[in-house]
Amino acid sequence: MVTSIPRRAACVLAATLCGALALAIPAGAQDAKPALRKVRLQLNWVPEPEFGGIYAARQDGLFAAEGLDVEVISGAAGTPVPQMTASGQVEFGVVSGDQVLTLRERGGSLVALFTVFHTSPMGVMVPEASPHRSLESLWKSDATVAMEAGLPFVRYLNKRFPGGKVKLVPTGAGLAAFERGTVQAQQCFITAEPVQLELRKVPVRVFSLAEGGYDPYTVSIATSEAFLAKDRAACAAFVRALRKGWASYLKEPGKYNPSIHKLNPAMSLEAMDLAARKQHDLVAPRTGDEVGWMERDRWVTLAGQLKELGTLKEPPAVIDAVFWNAPR
Amino acid sequence: MIARLLRAALPPAIVVIALVAAWDIAVRLMQPSEYLVPAPLAVARAFLEQRAELVPAALRTAGSAAAGFAIAAAAGVLAGSVLAASRFLMRGLYPLATLLQMVPLVAIAPILVIWCGYGPRTSVASAAIVSVFPVLAATLDGMRSTDPGLAELFGVCRASRLQRWWKLELPWALPSIVTGLRIAAGLSVIGAIVGEFVGAFAGDASPIGIIILSAMRENRTDLVFASVALAAAAGFALFGLVSLLGWALLRRWHASAG
Repeated sequence: MVTSIPRRAACVLAATLCGALALAIPAGAQDAKPALRKVRLQLNWVPEPEFGGIYAARQDGLFAAEGLDVEVISGAAGTPVPQMTASGQVEFGVVSGDQVLTLRERGGSLVALFTVFHTSPMGVMVPEASPHRSLESLWKSDATVAMEAGLPFVRYLNKRFPGGKVKLVPTGAGLAAFERGTVQAQQCFITAEPVQLELRKVPVRVFSLAEGGYDPYTVSIATSEAFLAKDRAACAAFVRALRKGWASYLKEPGKYNPSIHKLNPAMSLEAMDLAARKQHDLVAPRTGDEVGWMERDRWVTLAGQLKELGTLKEPPAVIDAVFWNAPR
Repeated sequence: MIARLLRAALPPAIVVIALVAAWDIAVRLMQPSEYLVPAPLAVARAFLEQRAELVPAALRTAGSAAAGFAIAAAAGVLAGSVLAASRFLMRGLYPLATLLQMVPLVAIAPILVIWCGYGPRTSVASAAIVSVFPVLAATLDGMRSTDPGLAELFGVCRASRLQRWWKLELPWALPSIVTGLRIAAGLSVIGAIVGEFVGAFAGDASPIGIIILSAMRENRTDLVFASVALAAAAGFALFGLVSLLGWALLRRWHASAG
């Protein structure tokens, strides 16, 4: 004997099945929104205000508005960002202008898309009480200076101030060696180490390398030539979001610093706010250009300098292949 | 003697040549960019072009490693002997000594700079810290495995504590100590380079660690490989010297030196 399901039970069962089916259909399919393009951005340092516009773009949904789902990957000292970007392990990476040029010479086809700093924040700091009042005076002394080995600006300073007797040591000991006077000077980002020292009431004097004549684009965002050729639209969308993100961050860093601080609690909110103030003029466009815009002449100058310093064998044959400004 | 040495050197030489050949073939077939994997010939060229800088640098690093190794060897044997002499000390201090092995050297290297200052002292300290534990552990294990019958005999003969250590426990532990020293020899080069990464002087007197850092920054992968090969050669030389010393000490009476 076959027993039939009561009509009410059948109705409940049918409604349950319909509900389950509706839940099983992805939300995206219901409202038919296109899926976001997943890309990765590799930073070369921990989250700090120098990446403020990136986090602002993420917080305000600007990447998503451009159809991108950007994974921002924190970096550390020694993260090989140029190599990772050129080899396609990540779509975008934070590099410096000289790294773009030197890696290209060795077969890593990087293309710069955006530069955070139009004026390099790199500098050399000395204690306020130091007898050195200029880079030249420092470089011609026998001071111990903490500097990352292999940086082109070390060669630049050696060439500019020949006969220097400074003793160079790595920066690995951090600020402790500087504060203790074990080193008499240290390379710095104007917006980083001097800020930390200022908050600790350690007065310092900073010699800007840009003012000293070496001014590469710094904290630049690059991609590989292959990715740019394959997905120019994604690159343009990424840059558009960055420009808007940086414009927002420059206007109101206090709105975004707490989220950066959550990712990097080692840097206090106070330090982040101070760093944001100090970097403002080095990031905000001097002319009518947008944030991140790069000038051809600057790349030509940098390539010439690196050739002169022996870091490059030859300047790139086509300088326009080195960078790409997305249309405004 | 020469024939014996050749017999010993031939198998590793064949393996090295085969590996380099395989590396070269892989690079020719896959043609990766130079910044990712350089060809063996490019590495050889980088070495030849910069040998005037690389060889003295490797010698400086080897010097720091050897000094650190010597300190670790002396400290390790001494500490191992002291711990072996007292069950109470061993129970109390051995776990702490094990911590030496767990210490992330990269994290404490900056502190070493503050304590020891810039220059070779930091590299020597770093090499000593990283290589002391294998010697200590090997000494302790060797001494604790002393034949109880012989120990009893020394007791019956009323040997002093020092006599027992010198004439029984130390020789008994020697094969084990030599093994610990061999492990420490390789580690000491790694320790020296980590120390150089944070505390060495750059410039004309750069050690190999600084050249590696500089070459990495300039995307000179060929030079990085050449430097690493030289550092490995320094470690291998130290390992060889220790093995030779071990062979000289043990050849007459221990099977491990055969």
